[in-house]
Amino acid sequence: MTAEVKGQQDLVDLIEWNSVEVLNQSSGHPWVNAVKKGYRDDPGLYLESDCDEQLLIYLPFTQQVKLHSLLIQGPERETAPSAIKVFVNRSSVGFDEAESEVGTQTLELESDDVLEGKPVALKYVKFQKVQSVTVFISSNFDDEDVTKLSKLVLFGTPQFTTNMGEWEKACKT
Amino acid sequence: MVLEATVVCVDNSDFMINGDYKPTRLQAQAEAVNLLAGAKTGSNPENTVGVLSLAGVRGPKVLATPTPDLGRVLSCMQKIKPEGSVSLIQGVQIAQLALKHRQNKNQRQRIVAFIGSPLEEEEKALVKVAKKLKKNNVSIDIVSFGEEAAEKNAEKLDAFLAAVNSNDSSHLVTVPPGTILSDILLSTPVFMGDNDGGSSGMGGMGGGGGGGGASDFEFGVDPNLDPELALALRVSMEEERARQEAQAQREREQQQQDEGGATTAADAPSEGGKAEGSQVPGEVDMKSAEGAGAGKEAEAAASAAEDGKDADGDVEMTDEAILQQALAMSLTTAAAGDPDPTTPAPTKEEEKTPAAPTKTDGAGGSGLGAMLEDQSFVTSVLSNLPGVDVSDANVQQVLSALKEKQSPKRSRTDDGDEDHEKDDK
Repeated sequence: MTAEVKGQQDLVDLIEWNSVEVLNQSSGHPWVNAVKKGYRDDPGLYLESDCDEQLLIYLPFTQQVKLHSLLIQGPERETAPSAIKVFVNRSSVGFDEAESEVGTQTLELESDDVLEGKPVALKYVKFQKVQSVTVFISSNFDDEDVTKLSKLVLFGTPQFTTNMGEWEKACKT
Repeated sequence: MVLEATVVCVDNSDFMINGDYKPTRLQAQAEAVNLLAGAKTGSNPENTVGVLSLAGVRGPKVLATPTPDLGRVLSCMQKIKPEGSVSLIQGVQIAQLALKHRQNKNQRQRIVAFIGSPLEEEEKALVKVAKKLKKNNVSIDIVSFGEEAAEKNAEKLDAFLAAVNSNDSSHLVTVPPGTILSDILLSTPVFMGDNDGGSSGMGGMGGGGGGGGASDFEFGVDPNLDPELALALRVSMEEERARQEAQAQREREQQQQDEGGATTAADAPSEGGKAEGSQVPGEVDMKSAEGAGAGKEAEAAASAAEDGKDADGDVEMTDEAILQQALAMSLTTAAAGDPDPTTPAPTKEEEKTPAAPTKTDGAGGSGLGAMLEDQSFVTSVLSNLPGVDVSDANVQQVLSALKEKQSPKRSRTDDGDEDHEKDDK
């Protein structure tokens, strides 16, 4: 199942679903297939690019988080994403900006990591107060016209980790 | 109920001075944009509409960024002046930029482009921009209008649409000249939205849309919008139809009665050669009346056909038409019963000629034959005429001849009447 990163949690529950925006997705293979629980674990369901190989995925969170690592998995090697750029707290990144700007971090993925679904660590210091994250996939391994992405998971910790259950326990003791 | 931000690209090139869409192309566009903005903001309160002019000395210009405020859209439409030529690629790119920086990211992006002038851009460049739009998840509706422009642009715009269309969310509408631009658009996917049959879109349009979209419905009222009014209209229509049928029935019966009287009456004078002569002036009158009747008949038929087409059901027109038709029919049947018109008018006595017009006037068509048949009436008329001597030998001869011809038939039907006639003599 989903790989885990020690000390970090899966941030899927903190994503603000209504505001998620994915550009250049094919209508038959929407972003839900790669991001939502249940869908993302099914290898038959994937997010596919439409006009060309690029994809732009904007994921806002319901609260500030610290991002630790990123998991990207593709169904097959040829069409799996190879180069990605991550932007933090940028609400309206278009393809033009995504290509021309440096971004918070640029990653070159290893084909084995992508096929197996291994989390890739981010520069933790640069991802401390994250309200939204934009993942720009610029190319795939074999320069295919279509990029396929079967799973996208973000690991990190929420800024406000008030767990009401624990707080009650602390009061009683 | 799609939540979307729309940028309307208005063609304000010099071609827009043309008056093939009333009053001018630019005004027609302004009207359509006003309606469209109303429809968009009406279908969802969070929808926004912006306006961009495609032509101008300095190229395309955003006149209103996407806003839910209808007033801003309306007021900026007034400021647009026709100048320069269209640059669609630039315009669409600027519109896309305006859409990208919309405040509510949940809104879908849509461009509505009005194109009424020939495009100078290459098809390749257009397709490239279309791909970019598609990549950025922008839908585009193109309204192509103007005779020669629509023809010239058709190929380019088709290619453009094919490249931009994903999930069937973009549309190309061609509006022929001589029509009302906004009226045509009302029933197209541009107004309807792409996911429903238009009921929600139409509902959002309110009063403005209701009048324009009338052609689709029986009485010019959308039954879904106002079921009570539609019902009332239908009921009154049916009542009127029943009334007309009853009237037509009455007239038919009356006609049959008239016909019966006219045919028996027409037999009598046709047998007497001299009596025939007396008929001639009257007959001519009848013929002209018949001609007029036939003309009216055609007219009535035409107006009836028109009524059939016109769903409004103009009551006065139908009544009049039926009346005219009935009149024409009664005239023709009366004329058909007339003696053979080819028979040359025989040498008639001078006394007879003045009598004829009197008869025609008094008879007024169908009753003429019946009056001639009544010999006592003829005799009394003759005796009343100045300068006519009933006892004159010639007159007597004619009368007796008339009587002889009639008597065999008469005796069969009515003996008492004949006795009375003899007494009169």
